[in-house]
Amino acid sequence: MATRGNGRWIIAAAVVVLAGLVLVSCGPGTMTPGQEATEVPAEDGGTAAPGEMPAADRQGTLRVSAFPIAQTDPAQISSDAEVLIANHIYDYLVDVDADNEVVPRLATEWTRGEEGLTYEFTLAEGVVFHDGTPFTADDVVYTFRRLRDTEGLPTADLYSNITSIEAAGELAVTFTLSDTNPFFLYDLSDNHALIVKDGSEDGGAGGAGSAGANDFNGTGPFVVQDYEPGNRMVLEANEDYFVEGQPHLAGLEIIFFNDQSASADALRGGQIDLTMDLSTPLYESLRQRDGLIAQDIATNQFANVRLRVDQPPGDDPMVVEALKLATNREEIFQLVQQGYGAVGRDSPIGPLFSEYYTEETGIPQRDPERAAELLAEAGYPDGLDLELVLLDTLNFPDLAAVLKQQWSEAGIHVEVNTVPESVFYGEGQWLDVPLGIVGWGHRPYPQFYLDVMLACDAKWNATRFCDEELDELIATAGTTLDEQERIDAYHEIQRILIERGPIMVPYFFAEYGVISDRFEGFQIKAFSGRTDFRQIRLAE
Amino acid sequence: MAEQAEAGGGKAGSAQAGLAQAGLASRFLTAVQELYRRPASAIGSTIFVVFVLMALVGPFIAPYGSNEQIVADARQPPSLDHWFGTDNLGRDIFSRVVLGARDVLALAGVGTLAAVVLGTMVGLVSGYYGGWLDEIVMRFFDSLLSLPALLLALLLLGSLGPSRNSVLVVITVVYTPIVARVVRSVVLSVKTKEFVEAAQVQGERVWYILFREIFPSTLPALAVEGSLRFSYAIFLVASLGFLGVGVQPPSPDWGLMVKEGRANFTQTPWALYFPAGAIAVVVIGVNLVADTLKQILQVPSQLKR
Repeated sequence: MATRGNGRWIIAAAVVVLAGLVLVSCGPGTMTPGQEATEVPAEDGGTAAPGEMPAADRQGTLRVSAFPIAQTDPAQISSDAEVLIANHIYDYLVDVDADNEVVPRLATEWTRGEEGLTYEFTLAEGVVFHDGTPFTADDVVYTFRRLRDTEGLPTADLYSNITSIEAAGELAVTFTLSDTNPFFLYDLSDNHALIVKDGSEDGGAGGAGSAGANDFNGTGPFVVQDYEPGNRMVLEANEDYFVEGQPHLAGLEIIFFNDQSASADALRGGQIDLTMDLSTPLYESLRQRDGLIAQDIATNQFANVRLRVDQPPGDDPMVVEALKLATNREEIFQLVQQGYGAVGRDSPIGPLFSEYYTEETGIPQRDPERAAELLAEAGYPDGLDLELVLLDTLNFPDLAAVLKQQWSEAGIHVEVNTVPESVFYGEGQWLDVPLGIVGWGHRPYPQFYLDVMLACDAKWNATRFCDEELDELIATAGTTLDEQERIDAYHEIQRILIERGPIMVPYFFAEYGVISDRFEGFQIKAFSGRTDFRQIRLAE
Repeated sequence: MAEQAEAGGGKAGSAQAGLAQAGLASRFLTAVQELYRRPASAIGSTIFVVFVLMALVGPFIAPYGSNEQIVADARQPPSLDHWFGTDNLGRDIFSRVVLGARDVLALAGVGTLAAVVLGTMVGLVSGYYGGWLDEIVMRFFDSLLSLPALLLALLLLGSLGPSRNSVLVVITVVYTPIVARVVRSVVLSVKTKEFVEAAQVQGERVWYILFREIFPSTLPALAVEGSLRFSYAIFLVASLGFLGVGVQPPSPDWGLMVKEGRANFTQTPWALYFPAGAIAVVVIGVNLVADTLKQILQVPSQLKR
């Protein structure tokens, strides 16, 4: 029986609920999107002069917040924090800059064979690993063979097109491909492709999550001095770093935070100098603050509203058109993204891909009346009832709320069903449900999305859309070595997707970073883990 | 002759039950008067009535729709136009709180009612018959009660999937064992009383004994337990909404609103304060009423679950 004590207890609980919830609200905010990266096209060439900066010129320690890491072996890393840390202990063969262009790093220059099947890289001179051993072509060969040949590594599939990786001298490497791949340089700068020492079992990182300071044996700009898993990692500038004048900082300290609000508070309180783990509301709260410099960048991570076209009601193109006409993308962008990122145009090719992106084909203006007419013509005179299935994370529930409102004016009534990641992806719902919202991570070039999502035989063709003309264009764009032909193909693809594609891309996400104004030279990248601290210095 | 005796006995039983009901009715009338005589319960009752009215006439007093988005007014603090401010999608929080009252009260109310009805029937039968039936039922309920309510709710929702109906089922399953135990404990203390034995001697049918003789005795305890369960159910509905496994967005469910408000707390703190405040206020109101009901209905405090 409920006793008097019980009643009082619940009253007390009710009284504290407000305070409790408010306190909780100071806890974790929304997680920033987990993305995967790789990068867009660029031309060959570039140099990097080896050299050394006098120790006295390196000043200041940058304290950066990051989510705790689980993986330290470069071949296994995936989260922003893991990539961010590895990116400063190791070096890539080639890197991708903030403009999404391929730039030299350990490779100073490269040439492509006439057939487009061989690539020769010249490596930087005077590079040494943190343990003092010199860097040679054998390290590159070992790294990429390991990434390609080790079963279960995420890169095994990516590099399956490489038939041979050979040293062509002490500081030269040749890659041979089985088929042309215009994005090969971007693939070489994949997040995992950090060069490790020849023969190192675990990429020189020690055991995952338990590595000691001496285990992180890279060639990168910072050397690990101390690592306490879950707490912090202390790094010092690599005095033997091969790029002249870099890094400018004397040290780097990665402090692990389990939630975004806490790292935002730490930045406000001066306990850290930089955070890139921010939700839009947190970023807004820091943006105008004195003493802080805020940066945001549109990524190619996007929300994809997709309808299966192999079953009713999506099998009628008029229904697809009606959904598109019932949607106001600009309004969604302002409400859900607060104007950060970029407005989508129903294609996975976003503005970040500069020349590949086009606005030649206009998005039809919102017209709910016309949408309702189309539905009536398609056999739904009383409107349409649909279930919209989506992940319960990021701002997808907000997107669903806005779509529900906008579509209701066209007679499309949506029942929203949010599900956790384990169900959505684990049970394959994201591929099977008739109408769903799926998040796609940032990639450095657009071909990936087309190959796995929109080609007729794509492995994740959730809409079951198959268009002959589109298929040919995707194949052309993915194989031609003629840049103009590829640009034209991508523009055509965008036209087709706007006119008859089964997907709606209302917006591209943004990535945020806020740094103390005691520092300068910070430039956030679309995949924040690849942000380069080598250029950051103490402000004068 | 036997038939006459049975008929006579039936009349006697009805009269007794009628007396019991009349006594009960007057006790309830007194209870309502008592509620407004005590300041704490007067406040509680008023809060409860206001929220019930809000649930009933919400659509007529809410200035905006629950999912109506005013792009130009997004993220506005409380003002004359938007009393409780607007959320990140430009929705009027006052309207959402008012319209959400129906969802929360209806789900918690109907769920509790179902638990009370089911729990009462099981408690009556189990307590009256006793023996192996009682053992099996009670041990089964013990096993359910050994799990924290929220954990049990999450387990159930995991298999049912999130929806309004699932939340109703969850409330019913979570609270039925508790109600059944309360009813059973009353039955155990009442079934040996003379009026029950008299009915048994007169050969009354079991359902008659259970519902006309014993059931009225459980009403005071049920009233108190029901009101307490109701306030717990409000918490449970809000908790499930907050965890994102209950009512689905963009419903103006208060728990869901707190969840959304929390994500946007740095920009729109009012989007968290008002729904959280509504949950707290209505739960306090219901509990003040329950506490007073217990005192004035003189529910024996030695009754244990």
